[in-house]
Amino acid sequence: MTRDELVTYIQDTFKDTVGLLETGRAEPFFMIKPEDILEFSRAIKDDPKLRMDWLNCISGVDTGEHFEVVYTVASVQTKIRFDYKTVLAYDNAEIESVQSVWPGANWHEREVWELYGINVKNHGNLTRFLLPDDWDQGHPMRKDWDAPDFKRMPEK
Amino acid sequence: MSEPQGLHTKEFTLNVGPIHPSTHGVCRFVVKMEGEVITELTPVIGYLHRALEKICENRTYEQIIPVTDRFEYCTAMSCNMAFSLATEKLAGIEVPERAEYLRVIMLELNRIASHLIWFGTTALDLGALTPFLYGFREREDILDLFEMTCGQRLTFNYIRPGGVSKDIPPEFIPKCREFLDGFNTKIDDYEKVLTGNPIFITRNKNVGIMPPDVGIAYAVSGPALRASGVKHDLRRDDPYSIYDRFEFDLPTGETGDCYDRYLVRIQEMRESAKIVRQAIEQIPEGEIRGKFNKMNFKPPAGEVYSRIENSRGEMGIYIQAAEKQKKPLRVKMRGGSYNQLQVMPVICKGAKIADLVAIMASMDIIMPDVDR
Amino acid sequence: MELKGLFKYLYELLASTGLPQGWVDLIAMVALALVVFGFIALVVLYLVWWERKVSAHTQQRLGPMRTGWHGWYQTVADTIKLLQKEDIRPALVDRPVYFWSPVVIFVAAFMAYVVMPFGDGLIVADLNIGILYIVAITSFTIIGMLMAGWGSNNKYSLLGGMRSAAQVVSYEIPMVVSICSIVLFVGSLSMVDIVQSQAKIYQWFIFRLPFGPLAFIIYLIAGVAETNRTPFDLPEAEQELVSGFNTEYSGMKFSMFFLAEFINMFTVAAIAVTLFFGGWHGPVLPSWMWFIGKTLVLVFVIMWFRWTYPRLRVDHLMEFAWKFLIPVAFINLILAALMKYSGWFNW
Repeated sequence: MTRDELVTYIQDTFKDTVGLLETGRAEPFFMIKPEDILEFSRAIKDDPKLRMDWLNCISGVDTGEHFEVVYTVASVQTKIRFDYKTVLAYDNAEIESVQSVWPGANWHEREVWELYGINVKNHGNLTRFLLPDDWDQGHPMRKDWDAPDFKRMPEK
Repeated sequence: MSEPQGLHTKEFTLNVGPIHPSTHGVCRFVVKMEGEVITELTPVIGYLHRALEKICENRTYEQIIPVTDRFEYCTAMSCNMAFSLATEKLAGIEVPERAEYLRVIMLELNRIASHLIWFGTTALDLGALTPFLYGFREREDILDLFEMTCGQRLTFNYIRPGGVSKDIPPEFIPKCREFLDGFNTKIDDYEKVLTGNPIFITRNKNVGIMPPDVGIAYAVSGPALRASGVKHDLRRDDPYSIYDRFEFDLPTGETGDCYDRYLVRIQEMRESAKIVRQAIEQIPEGEIRGKFNKMNFKPPAGEVYSRIENSRGEMGIYIQAAEKQKKPLRVKMRGGSYNQLQVMPVICKGAKIADLVAIMASMDIIMPDVDR
Repeated sequence: MELKGLFKYLYELLASTGLPQGWVDLIAMVALALVVFGFIALVVLYLVWWERKVSAHTQQRLGPMRTGWHGWYQTVADTIKLLQKEDIRPALVDRPVYFWSPVVIFVAAFMAYVVMPFGDGLIVADLNIGILYIVAITSFTIIGMLMAGWGSNNKYSLLGGMRSAAQVVSYEIPMVVSICSIVLFVGSLSMVDIVQSQAKIYQWFIFRLPFGPLAFIIYLIAGVAETNRTPFDLPEAEQELVSGFNTEYSGMKFSMFFLAEFINMFTVAAIAVTLFFGGWHGPVLPSWMWFIGKTLVLVFVIMWFRWTYPRLRVDHLMEFAWKFLIPVAFINLILAALMKYSGWFNW
């Protein structure tokens, strides 16, 4: 499918849940509400024309105003690729785990929780991962995180 | 094998520590065993976490290139390439022809170098102590070529957004040709030592079998997935740069055991040599870098995920840029070894402890990729 | 330059000093033991250097080059270093067991040289149970390994020690059976008799097809497994168990394990030369030169194995011994019996 065909197909199949974003440069980027994530993921995996069985990665983003969680998915059979994301407010940020759809999401979600503090429901193993076991200085990837020996490069 | 009445083996937890001669970097495994058989395996990572992604949020685009070098230092060219591709897609930068060819040559040479490291360490882990030295001897020739071009042997800082940073000197192409002429015979020599050896085959055949659906479910990529029979290579399926101009095969395996992964990588070295040969013949004259404002690059707002085929699998970089900012808002790096380590507990269940080493070596996991 | 006369002359010299016979014999025995000990120690030091050079050249490197011409006194330097090292003993080890295990292994390695025929008339004691004595003594190493594994109070050492013991016990059987087939032909267990029955080159057991070469191959494989060398060195595989049963040893105690391994390797090669390659027979050169020379060639072959092959997993090792080598060794024994009975190749 070409990019336009893909966009039209997704917008037709999932009318209310997705919204196309203008910011996607290479592949289409869609916007989704947090509560629709699990259903949407399952649907695109089972859909016969899409069959998105490959989860590239799940990234957390802190834009300074809100959190975003970006899902990048691809298909080994149909060679389609696109991304979708949700926006979460700073307090009580939480999303559903998509492990039941793609088992490989386990570690990605664990990392998102650890570095951003976004709670992942039904994960089962939200424990220390990249940071040391006795880390108690918050969630480092947030924009407002600070630590005594954290230095920023001078603005030029 | 049933135990006689009244004889039990106790379950025993072994810590294959972070510093161990065969964990390919610092990775810790907590292994629960019954006798010699593994029942549960938990990788504990984070020993090499350098917070590269946080560092990237504080650097301009040109300054991030050396940081990506350290993301996976065995194939630093690919990391530079992934980031440069992402930046080019973000801002729509054109790359001149000569730069494209140079990029392909460097990427494939780096792939061969990385596979030579894998070859040496696999043989070393299984006890054949000599192929390690042979692999590194070939790798020295490749590193000489790199040093000739950009002055560096491991972390190159060479492939930049818009092209490459320096042109190749005139002695590069004859030296490269000389290296390639002897390389196929050398690979045949390596195969003579290991491929037909009954001891090697017994230790690798039917060990660590990864079925293709497990591989796809855990997003494993690269030679580890191709050995399970899935013909998936980003150079074919999602061509980037000028890979569609070259003729090369995709070696695949059948069962997905360690032996197939070994054969796939050996064959891949040959295919990469083929690509470099074709690229050297076709390379045109011209500019080596497109228009890119090093000091003051401010892309339009947007986000992009670009991916390339690394020697360990798919390497992806996700960049989100805010409007007219010199520094990106978010750079996420996704390496091939991350998912391969995630699938290790699944394929190691029921294997013996001596197989753990063989499986880890054949999956070609290196820790900087996982920890960033 | 035959040495047979030299020892006799020295003994006469000692007897003529007028000491009582008992003292003369005692001094002679102690002196002989020291000579053999010194010779073997020297040979082993030389072998360690030889191993480093063989491994280096196989791997396209040079090996030790600075300590003397091509590094010939590298081992001397290493020994001096090891002697100075601190003897670290973990607090919770089982003290007597931990202390005595390197001694057991080292002494067991040396005792085999009592019946080794170094040359014509150069044998410490020509016991009429020669080869049986050697087989019995080499079993002592198992006890030493188990003691080392247990005494170290360490999971890894225990696993390593048990594996080594299992391996050595399993591979003793094909080794002894192949030795039996030779003894069948000779009709005597004495080492000197075995060598004397190979006086001409066509009488060497290696050339007595078909059972000779087969017995040799079985013996060599079993011998390499006995000494815990690659491809059978899983018990001390660094990559997996960080050194096996000698993990907790350092300094002089570690060097005793290390040297014992080389002494055992030399023993295996020396016995193979005695049984299959005609012992000390050979034209022109003195007999002890032939013996040492042939042994060194075999030692080179054993070292060659180490740097070429990957290592076998423990269950493959056991399978190979019990399901393949032992049946083949027994078939070989029957073949030897048939050959002896029918007079084929029996000259």
